[in-house]
Amino acid sequence: MRAQEGTARRYAKALHMAATEAGAGEATGRELAAFLDGLQADRGALEILERPWIKPSDRRAAALALAEKSGSGKLVRDFIGLVAERGRLDHLAAIIAAYRDLIDADLGQARAQVRSAVALTDTEKARLSSHLQAALSKRIILEDSVDTNLLGGFVAQVGSLILDGSIDGQLARMRERLARGQA
Amino acid sequence: MRRVFAIACFLAGLLPAVAFASGGEEGGLISLDKSLIIQAVNFAILLWLLTKLLYKPLLAKMDERTNAIQKSLDEAQAARAQAQKERDEFAAKIQAANAEAQRIRAEALKDAADEQRRLVEAAKAEAARLVAGARQEMDQDVRRARQELRQEVADLAIAISERLIKKSLNDTDHRRIVDDAIAHMGQKN
Repeated sequence: MRAQEGTARRYAKALHMAATEAGAGEATGRELAAFLDGLQADRGALEILERPWIKPSDRRAAALALAEKSGSGKLVRDFIGLVAERGRLDHLAAIIAAYRDLIDADLGQARAQVRSAVALTDTEKARLSSHLQAALSKRIILEDSVDTNLLGGFVAQVGSLILDGSIDGQLARMRERLARGQA
Repeated sequence: MRRVFAIACFLAGLLPAVAFASGGEEGGLISLDKSLIIQAVNFAILLWLLTKLLYKPLLAKMDERTNAIQKSLDEAQAARAQAQKERDEFAAKIQAANAEAQRIRAEALKDAADEQRRLVEAAKAEAARLVAGARQEMDQDVRRARQELRQEVADLAIAISERLIKKSLNDTDHRRIVDDAIAHMGQKN
């Protein structure tokens, strides 16, 4: 998993350099995300592309066709073709995530994944974003989702930083204290 | 030799008495005439011959016998002395052997006592080690049991709490929990 992240980061850096030179950093990210959505929607194509005995040139051709279909520009098509040819399409999600992190770093922003037991209101999102921005000194893009496994509250993650404001977290801490014999 | 001379003198002194006795009566044992001299000479020759041929060898034999007896006595004495000496040596050896045996026995007893003491000490140490090990294992078991009990109690308490919380939370509670968490996050900043 860590090796895959390292590989994905190298691909993302290379793409990021090329996209920045072309002045299409954000657009490239969107095109990549669109291609990945299309690829994940087409399970048959994905399975074929990930088969190791398919010739690299055939993989590249198939990937290019899919990229064109999803409306990708030349840079993204070439990149997808390269990734498919080298049999790294299974790394694509990680590459897109790493690329997005690089773009966010360029823009001085960070993405916060927030899981909550119930959907957050706009006011709550704004307050949470405000606190996170103050804490990290970055513009925060909030990506919230409802996690029905949570009892209450929310868990926010920005990169490696995790802010646990959930009942589950409190109960887990209480469980640890009880297990250690601390009241 | 002196005895022979004494016997000869006795016989010479006896001759006159014999002569007188024979002179008194005709046809006696000894006649006092020239034949007496011849008889005396014969007697002397006989005496010399007896001395030479019988008495001296007899004396020599007796001396030899005496010497042999003396030698035997000396040898017996020497043998007795040797036997006594050997007996003394043997007694000394027995005494030494007894002393050695006593020393070996004492040493063996001491070694046995040392070995017994060492074994007892080793057994005590082993027993102490076993007891300490058992105590340590027991302590570990107790600690483990306590930890497991605490863990089970914690799991049970948290499971019950989760169930109660899930049942009792309404939307207002959720909003309040989120607000509190955000406010708490703000306080930390």
